[in-house]
Amino acid sequence: MSRRIVSVSILVAAMLLIIAACAPAAPAPAPTQAPAAQPTAAQPTTAPAEPTTAPAEATTAPQATTAPEATVAPTATALPTAEAGRKQIRWFVGLGTGTDPAQVKVQEEIVKKFNESQDKIQLVLEVVAYDAARDALATQLASGNPPDIVGPVGVSGAEAFHGQWLDLAPFIDKTNYDLTQFDKGAVDFYKVGGEGQIGLPFAIFPSALFYQRDMFDEADLNYPPHKYGEKYKWKDGTEEEWTFDTLNKLAEKLTVDKNNKDASDSAFDTKNIVQYGYEPQYQDLRAVGSYMGAGTFVAPDGKTAQIPPQWAEAWKWVYDGVWKEHIIANGPTRESQEFGQGNPFNSGKVATALTHLWYTCCVTDAGGNWDVAVVPSHNGKTTANFNADTFRVLKASKNPDEAFTVLTYLLGDGSLDLLKAYGGMPGRTADQAAFFKSLDETWKQKVDWQVFIDGIQYADNPSFEGYMPNYNESFDLANVFLNKLYTTDGLDMDKEIAQFQKDLQAVFDKKATP
Amino acid sequence: MSSFKELFSIFHLKPNARREALYGLAFISLWLIGFLLFTLFPMIATLVFTFTNINLAQEQSLQFVGLQNYLAMFKDSQLHNALGVTFKYALIALPIGLALPLIVALLLNNKYLRAKGFFRIMFYLPFVIPFVAGIFAWGGLLNPEQGWINQGLEALGVQNPPGWLNDPTWVYPGLVILGLWGIGSAVIINLAGLQGIPTELYDAAKVDGAGWWATLWNVTLPMMSPVLFYALVLGVVGVFQYFLVPLVITDGTGRPGGATMFFNLYLYKTFFTFQNMSYGAAQAWVLFLLILALTVFLFWSSKYWVHYAGDTR
Repeated sequence: MSRRIVSVSILVAAMLLIIAACAPAAPAPAPTQAPAAQPTAAQPTTAPAEPTTAPAEATTAPQATTAPEATVAPTATALPTAEAGRKQIRWFVGLGTGTDPAQVKVQEEIVKKFNESQDKIQLVLEVVAYDAARDALATQLASGNPPDIVGPVGVSGAEAFHGQWLDLAPFIDKTNYDLTQFDKGAVDFYKVGGEGQIGLPFAIFPSALFYQRDMFDEADLNYPPHKYGEKYKWKDGTEEEWTFDTLNKLAEKLTVDKNNKDASDSAFDTKNIVQYGYEPQYQDLRAVGSYMGAGTFVAPDGKTAQIPPQWAEAWKWVYDGVWKEHIIANGPTRESQEFGQGNPFNSGKVATALTHLWYTCCVTDAGGNWDVAVVPSHNGKTTANFNADTFRVLKASKNPDEAFTVLTYLLGDGSLDLLKAYGGMPGRTADQAAFFKSLDETWKQKVDWQVFIDGIQYADNPSFEGYMPNYNESFDLANVFLNKLYTTDGLDMDKEIAQFQKDLQAVFDKKATP
Repeated sequence: MSSFKELFSIFHLKPNARREALYGLAFISLWLIGFLLFTLFPMIATLVFTFTNINLAQEQSLQFVGLQNYLAMFKDSQLHNALGVTFKYALIALPIGLALPLIVALLLNNKYLRAKGFFRIMFYLPFVIPFVAGIFAWGGLLNPEQGWINQGLEALGVQNPPGWLNDPTWVYPGLVILGLWGIGSAVIINLAGLQGIPTELYDAAKVDGAGWWATLWNVTLPMMSPVLFYALVLGVVGVFQYFLVPLVITDGTGRPGGATMFFNLYLYKTFFTFQNMSYGAAQAWVLFLLILALTVFLFWSSKYWVHYAGDTR
């Protein structure tokens, strides 16, 4: 009898185990895990999260909203049952920033506040780890079970789901939503031909040239200009247009070997460089190109691969900077611990770096005396490329009106708390001063934040992160190409660029089933 | 087949034996359910996927596409490159991966070696270090600019030390060196095999006047052939599934110049970067069949070179 009881107990226990294993997970955040690696390029090191892309490569920029490294992304939580009389709106987080446990807490509070503020909509938060988010969202869409709102997400993350975002224009008209609270340029940034107004400004990340004041002082150089249109003043009093050529000259003076010779010195030892002059910090191939002029890989017909000539120039400029002038760290060096493992400017051994405002996330080890200057011009035109994160509504949303209501709450009442948690500059102009004041509390060296605000006028249009056919594979190919530039000496760049265009066309031409 | 027979024969057993058999089944039922749900069913599902057009990155209706995913592999130059990379690496890594643990085991088994326990621990110790941590450490050591290995070579007067993981010529030796970090487990297996060889065989060889080499060739290696066969089969399977090191070291880019785009890494990218599930599934099945074919070939060939004690063949 007792044997039977024992065996029955074991069977019951086994069944309970199976049932427990199959039951939905409790809505607790998962234990912390390794930093999210980006699905793109290159280097073994994982970069701190960027506004929306997780830095993967040494050269891929963290996106506008990436979670800081070493934080763990909570996994998706089980959906609560819809409350009677309320329409359920699902808010999907994970394509960009927002997965850090501290950020999740803020988002949960926003959800709670929203749900308490009305009785028509039940807002539900779904947080998916960055590494898994694209697959998770794609699977939800493919299975007909999509969320309603997605974000924060940058252009690049959103373009991975090209054509699936709801045009908000009819909802803006219907509700008389006030667009004048935002800079017009920022609103137009989300107005995409053929797709409509597929977003509204939330967090923006203009670019600028980060530089180390001490290194300029040591090299007896004046600081780069802080106003767009200003010329660079050399110590001898001569002035020069602030262009990439000027930046190149400065970078040569700021690149130093172990014998304290700079790169413009004929005795410069290229094998023993201890300080580099310049770094395109966390900039992907398209971003590197777009500083010399806005462009896109896609011809107007939407299917032909093209290389904007100014992008090709920019790549050659960087390539020569790495391999001929040695003012930029090459692949192995940038990966080394000594030079920041993919984040060279943060190593405190690089004098200047073009990057975005979100980089304040990742510059904690670079010393406390950096500042920012304006982006140099090229061929008489300045392009300060631009990252932006926002929330988007999926076309597949079953309740678009309610989703728009939630969206306006996230961009409105909830925005300040969220922006603080995400570290984003408010798209709403009235909130920007307070945002920079809060940055001053962290960075006490009196950074000239106005440079970022002024840079908005020089945003790239079209955005470098815009649509490409077969987006994920095209993006991957671009990252592989950039990595090749950083790691391979002696390339014939014209030939390589022509081959890259050919390869890109092949990827554009791929159909869903090869 | 026989296990199916045994399963159904339960019903013809006497009550006590049947109860015992049912308890056994109950105890393994969790594993069985797990195997069915998480291994067999997904395998069958991926086989079905290979005949469809599931691509999460592109909006399209689900369609049956026949053998298109398989035929596409003939035209996919990246896949051909990945296959070539995998074979190239296998040709370098497999012989070294088989020979070196055996050589180390022979040394550790040598009667003249002192502090055997210490050396065994030293060789095994790296194996217990988490693999990814080891990869990062080796990535740093092999860094051509800042790595200790090249700094050491330069200190020894080597003018242009290898580019290791950054150079298409040196990347495979670099990966092999990195892989040798974890040979501790294979050394232990070889050591166990060596210690299992009956000493009478060595005594007989000695009586017959065999020297060290003749003893190794005529006694040790034949007696070790089952162990080497086991290591070879696992090695072949492992090398075709080689994935983690290139993923971590190159972040999946295949650098330098595609030299580390192994088949399994390309497969992974097809699935999870390009989100082309059907094509990825087809690649996975091709990989499975390839490994299966090689394994079957190895088993077939074993009758010519693997000797089991007491075997009359």
